[in-house]
Amino acid sequence: MTVRITLKVNGVDHRVAVEDDTLLLDVLREQVGTTSVREGCGVGACGACTVLSGGSSVSSCLALARRYDGAEITTAEGLDENDAVVSSFVECGAAQCGYCIPGFVLMSTELLTDNPRPTEQEITDHLEGNICRCGTYPEIRRAVATAAQRRSPA
Amino acid sequence: MLEQGWVGGRRARFDTAGRVRGLVSHVGDQPVGAAAHVAVHRSTQPHALIGAVHTEDALAMPGVYAVLTGADLYKQFGDRLLTGPAFADQPALAHEKVRYVGEPVAAVLAADLATARAATDAVWVDYDELPPVYDLADALEGSAFVHDELKPSSVFGDLRHLRGVRDTNVNYTYTLRHGDAQAAREAGAHTVTGEFWAPPTHHVPIELPCTIAWVDAGRLEMLTTTQTPSYVRQTIADLLDLPLSRVRVTTRPLGGSFGAKMYDRLEPLAAALAWTTGRKVRLVASREEAFLLTTRHGAAVTSSLTADAEGNLVSSIADVRYDTGAYADVGPRITAKSGMVTPGPYRIDTAHVRSRCVYTNKPSAGPFRGFGVPQVTWSHESLIDELAHRLGEDPYAFRRRHLLREGDEAPMGTRMHSADFVTCLDSVANAIGWFEPLERGSGRIRRGRGVAVGVKAVLTPTIANAVLQFNQDASATLLISTVDMGQGSDTIMAQIAADVLAMNSERIHVVRADTDATPYDTITAGSRSTYHTGNAVRRVAQAMRDKLIALGAQHFEVAEADVELTPEGLRSGERTVPVAELVHGHFGARGATLTAEANFTTSWAPYDKETGRSEKVTEHWFAGAIGVQLTVDTATGRVHLEHLAVAGDVGRAINPALVEQQLTGAAIMGIGHALFDQLVLDQGQLVNGTLLDYQLPSIRDLPDKLTPIVVESPHDDGPFGAKGVGETGILGIAPAIANAVRDAVGVRLTTLPLTPESIVTALENKQEEES
Amino acid sequence: MPTLHRPDTLDEAVELLSTVDNPMVYGGGTAIQILIKQGILFADNFVDLAGIPGLREITPGAGVLTVGPMVSVRRMETDQRVRAHAPLAAEAYHQVANPRVRNTASAGGNIAHGDYRLDPPTALLVLDATVLASSVRGTREIPVREFFVDFQETAIEHDELVSGIRIPAQPPGAGRFVKNSSLGENDWPCASASVLVTGSTMHIGLGAVAPTPRYVACDATGLDDQGAVDAALAAIEPELDPIPDVRGGVAYKRRLARATVEDAVRAAWKDLQHA
Repeated sequence: MTVRITLKVNGVDHRVAVEDDTLLLDVLREQVGTTSVREGCGVGACGACTVLSGGSSVSSCLALARRYDGAEITTAEGLDENDAVVSSFVECGAAQCGYCIPGFVLMSTELLTDNPRPTEQEITDHLEGNICRCGTYPEIRRAVATAAQRRSPA
Repeated sequence: MLEQGWVGGRRARFDTAGRVRGLVSHVGDQPVGAAAHVAVHRSTQPHALIGAVHTEDALAMPGVYAVLTGADLYKQFGDRLLTGPAFADQPALAHEKVRYVGEPVAAVLAADLATARAATDAVWVDYDELPPVYDLADALEGSAFVHDELKPSSVFGDLRHLRGVRDTNVNYTYTLRHGDAQAAREAGAHTVTGEFWAPPTHHVPIELPCTIAWVDAGRLEMLTTTQTPSYVRQTIADLLDLPLSRVRVTTRPLGGSFGAKMYDRLEPLAAALAWTTGRKVRLVASREEAFLLTTRHGAAVTSSLTADAEGNLVSSIADVRYDTGAYADVGPRITAKSGMVTPGPYRIDTAHVRSRCVYTNKPSAGPFRGFGVPQVTWSHESLIDELAHRLGEDPYAFRRRHLLREGDEAPMGTRMHSADFVTCLDSVANAIGWFEPLERGSGRIRRGRGVAVGVKAVLTPTIANAVLQFNQDASATLLISTVDMGQGSDTIMAQIAADVLAMNSERIHVVRADTDATPYDTITAGSRSTYHTGNAVRRVAQAMRDKLIALGAQHFEVAEADVELTPEGLRSGERTVPVAELVHGHFGARGATLTAEANFTTSWAPYDKETGRSEKVTEHWFAGAIGVQLTVDTATGRVHLEHLAVAGDVGRAINPALVEQQLTGAAIMGIGHALFDQLVLDQGQLVNGTLLDYQLPSIRDLPDKLTPIVVESPHDDGPFGAKGVGETGILGIAPAIANAVRDAVGVRLTTLPLTPESIVTALENKQEEES
Repeated sequence: MPTLHRPDTLDEAVELLSTVDNPMVYGGGTAIQILIKQGILFADNFVDLAGIPGLREITPGAGVLTVGPMVSVRRMETDQRVRAHAPLAAEAYHQVANPRVRNTASAGGNIAHGDYRLDPPTALLVLDATVLASSVRGTREIPVREFFVDFQETAIEHDELVSGIRIPAQPPGAGRFVKNSSLGENDWPCASASVLVTGSTMHIGLGAVAPTPRYVACDATGLDDQGAVDAALAAIEPELDPIPDVRGGVAYKRRLARATVEDAVRAAWKDLQHA
């Protein structure tokens, strides 16, 4: 059954038509046009399709779009260039091919919202479900620590 | 003061901010408009003759445009349907016979992807089963054959003699003979032997392969995720029997590749379908399908290393078998290029290597970061370590004593230059504290250290071209066919050009590969771009500098020798004219462009068929070393990496930050290969082909400390002395880790990956032997 | 493509389960979507619990905490009441998959999935939790120790849904959860164990080492840590029945189960000494 739902994506309302089995990933890519949300594995294991819904991370490849009617969705495109996480990733060189990086940026944003001064172990714990095949993990870890410092200086 | 955007500067990658926010768009992000979405029906059989292919039910489904089989395509293209870089053996859709579980048999074109995928389930195939060739042992036993006869392609002339050979699964054999290795082994005082196995693995770039193809005014145009646009253009031209000018291949930045997206992947099928149906087609692989497109070769190595009574290396013998799966892909090249370095970068009196590329009924294996060399490094770095233990020598010092030095001739006959193994080894040993006492632990947790070195030849001969347009406003546009897939090639090429032209590298735009516009470049692979394309870029920038200086000389009315190009402009004595003003004056127009072009081609001396030796088998060498300190939990078998140091001789680092990332990135990938990453097949069926089961290193698998070390021994002919680095860091990871495990708990493992299970099993066996 | 039903009340939901063809309860959806993609889920109707008020509540009662089926795994990990009431359960929920999965996956779906490798059942077993199963016939209580019937099979009937989990307060003593993977560090567990020592009894919940999560208890009266390890290893021995796969063979999984239980027991004993 086709139904119309409204997704507030990066602050803008988008009315979209979805079927019962339409995935949030496909709506965001094909109807909203936020192509920073990417399918890497289709089973929630790589994190490339991560979005924030109401601030909480979601694997959009496993999420039924109908359930997100009215939800406030954030994708990496919606983060400001001067955002602490974004600017820290840029400064630390935490992107090689960059395909997975929007997912890491959003996971890091969620982490620092819940836990402004995470330990290195807490950073690792929070990012363990995201795969960077280029192996940018050391730079990513540095970037998250830098962002934490930037958001809430000691 | 060094400009960060010039050679040696740590400038950031192009558009890092865009990458971080996901604003860089990739092939799969491009809108396609009205197009047929394609899904393929795949073989359920490892080896079978195809009877009837029933497509009626699929065709009857709403939204299905067409269903095509291998027979349909063969009718149109004949033997041109068979493509491949070394052997023309792989059909875009299986024709007459299937050779692995998962091989494409029929293609469904539909209004959307979901419909196309659903319709593939409605295709039925009648098979007549053939005896399967599951592994190397089956293949070499030689009672069933994956291919009736060998079909070398026209790409490599030296494979011509194999055409039409029948009744074999061995499609290529490389032999290295240097002295009488057998006699030297028998006369030697100490011999260590091993049966080594490195399993098939997959590259898993996070971006999935995607190809869009259409016909435009009688030309076949394509946008595709490929590292090899120039190769793909040739393949498609051959397949469709078109002049090169009627094929256009374009790319976008790749979301990683590591060898997965090169040669023939989705492109021949996409081209054949677009050409046959006249429709625009879009193919995208799911992750499960991507596992079937290509793999890294599983390889078995039976080898020995012999020392005389004084500890000199006198004999290296190896029998190497690469499992190339159902299609040769570039396996024969891997077999030769790896076979020739199987003895390792050591002074050894004699060597005998037989390296074979073997067909089996499995997904095809192709290039993967390291091009087969990690599999033989696994052998030679384990053997020399064991030999050092046997002789009671320090494994670091024993290697150091025997490592090839500048000017030394390797066993395959080529001399070493700009391959500083000794400094690489010294620096990793120092980094991990090799010379400090080690707290080994006494209970359940044991600690050890290990080192390994690696050597690899760069792809030779190859061709690179560059075109530079210098814009009137003193910005520039660089046209090359190198594909940026995360390694940062666009950035370093701009740094090279900017350094020559004394300009800001941010003002140089590197055009994405488009065979209508960017010039031929062999491939973006094998760590060749920095050296080859880098040299073409340096030359084109020099040609442009000469043009600007000539204009400057006219402007100042002085000799060219009296004009200098500086960041402020052209200078002669006290006078300076900004470049933009100079070019504007020359053309009398804003926005005009000056154009220059350059080529850089390397040559080689093909190796002798009998001895496998050549005085110049490669343009240059990659040299690297790994040092690791780790613990082993003897109760669970789990390895924990405390410190891993990775060193590579890069000649000269064009951008040290990017070089370090290549080293650490390769090391992290190598950690996976060492400890858990492998494709598991059961009777030809892939059993762990999803990311729920397939193991990739996560942030949790990092060593506590990871140290990249850039070693620079400049290459005489490299651009500013530089060489590539993409593969150097991965070569020695697995043996360094295994050598450290040996040091920690006294067991020598020869099968990868080093799973906790394999470690505790080895410990149990050792205890049984000792009691 | 299954039809998605979005009932507003629990009554509507159980009514749907009893009337539509081949129904399946849709909780967090993380496991279901994976099964769909793998082509091994055959349902004609999904009954989505997301729109039913009250199913996301955590309700304190006399000595028990009742957890609604749609409470996310993430909340089970972070909610202060769960952490105070049953810290062992909070720790086991904390170890599930990764934070993104935990945000979406539901506590009810987690146990209804019945996967033998899941972490939370090990804690629920030692805490002696109760599963509430609702249908048009009413609501019944199933002790979690009787809930996991066979490989991927639970005591939930086809027309039932998990409507809550009752977790008794963790008694004084010590509780520890330990898990080990055998490949990548963030892989599925190859062996996991919850150990709860209370009074003279040691309760052990095992994950991933048999076709179902397993529970055993043994007397720990007067044991030192080595004695407790020996007693625990003897107690779990008959329960070990691992499924060989890419993560390890039978012998290795048995070995890893023992090492995991030993680590959990030793950690618990250390806690007892410091208590």
